[in-house]
Amino acid sequence: MNCPEFWDHLPQRGEDISEAQKAHLAECATCATQWEPHRALATGLRSLAEEWRQTDAPLRVEAGLMAAFRAQAGFQARRSQSLSWWRPVFAWTAAAAATVALALVLMRSYQPATASPGTVAAPHRTSQPVTQVADVEVDDDSAVFGEGFVRLPNAPRIDPNEDFNVVRVEVSGSAMIEAGISLSEDRAAETVLADVALASDGTPRAVRLVPDGGSY
Amino acid sequence: MAQYSSQSDDELLLQLRNGDEQAFAALYRRRQGAIYRFAQHMSGSATAAEDITQEVFLALLREECGYDRERGTLSGYLFGIARKLVLRNLERGRADVPLESETDEVAPRELAVVDDPLAGLTRHEAIEALRRAVQALPRRYREVVVLCDLEELDYADAAVALGCPIGTVRSRMHRARALLLEKLHQDRKPRLALDAWKPMRYAL
Repeated sequence: MNCPEFWDHLPQRGEDISEAQKAHLAECATCATQWEPHRALATGLRSLAEEWRQTDAPLRVEAGLMAAFRAQAGFQARRSQSLSWWRPVFAWTAAAAATVALALVLMRSYQPATASPGTVAAPHRTSQPVTQVADVEVDDDSAVFGEGFVRLPNAPRIDPNEDFNVVRVEVSGSAMIEAGISLSEDRAAETVLADVALASDGTPRAVRLVPDGGSY
Repeated sequence: MAQYSSQSDDELLLQLRNGDEQAFAALYRRRQGAIYRFAQHMSGSATAAEDITQEVFLALLREECGYDRERGTLSGYLFGIARKLVLRNLERGRADVPLESETDEVAPRELAVVDDPLAGLTRHEAIEALRRAVQALPRRYREVVVLCDLEELDYADAAVALGCPIGTVRSRMHRARALLLEKLHQDRKPRLALDAWKPMRYAL
């Protein structure tokens, strides 16, 4: 092996040179001298990698993603069911189940674990006009979460110093209407894009409809 | 969860597509660290890295995610998404990004550093010096060092993530290591570096 061959065939991991390359270093002082800083750098980078490898994403990222997955999975289940041959028999049942499942996901931290679907589906604001309540909450929560957000039913107001994440999911129009979002009734059966604000423990706090353009 | 640990990324992806939440969790736990670290190295911000990690895995949930196993591994694909998000993040804070010129792509100069740039440093000092040097690299060199040296992707996966030929990854690695050695050498000899400016000052 000559000098150009030595430098042209360096392995990806700098320390892992071949036996032939080691033999070349033993007989070529110039290459051996020039190789030394490369070897030291490779060793240093490995140490940095080992130390750095202990760094992971914060747990709240996983919590937020799991919440998004559950919301998404509910829709996919509804979609596949609606395409099957027994659609005429179970279509309404599946749609209702998906809506309840989504409502459970969106409000799961604010309802008892044993609550019946009927209890979950019943919004606590039924005695007031939905649009009026939604308008008030948009004004209040926009300052905390951002433009267009509506706090979920029974969700406590978020502490201004509390961290929260926003994830984008697909949800049914009916679930958005139940959450207090102003959406026309003829879009209740559609799938719409929504931003869900998740508290640091992964629980959903507020939701907003993503405009057709896809961004705020 | 143990049953998922022996499954490949592609198998887990298939299962999560079928609504298996545990498969999604297993895939996330397997890959999140590397994606998060890459994003943090590249953006220099833990907050941005958090957002980017979240967006990368949300992309897997979308039906049109675009992963094709024929073109590379899922790991390389995830890094590719992370890279695009990092670039978008850097675009928003352009003032913080070192300007890069076409000269970054020229053939590497001969290495002038011939001594060990980390000699005499404690392990902690050496790691800190290296961390700073990596952070100071121009973006295109920093990303190959982070991917290939720190996250130990092979050149083929790195090429998928970066959207360039393997030869480009190889040449950038060569140049990046030369730049790292120069940077470490300069940091160790600040007085020499300052002395080098003196004749210029006198000339002015």
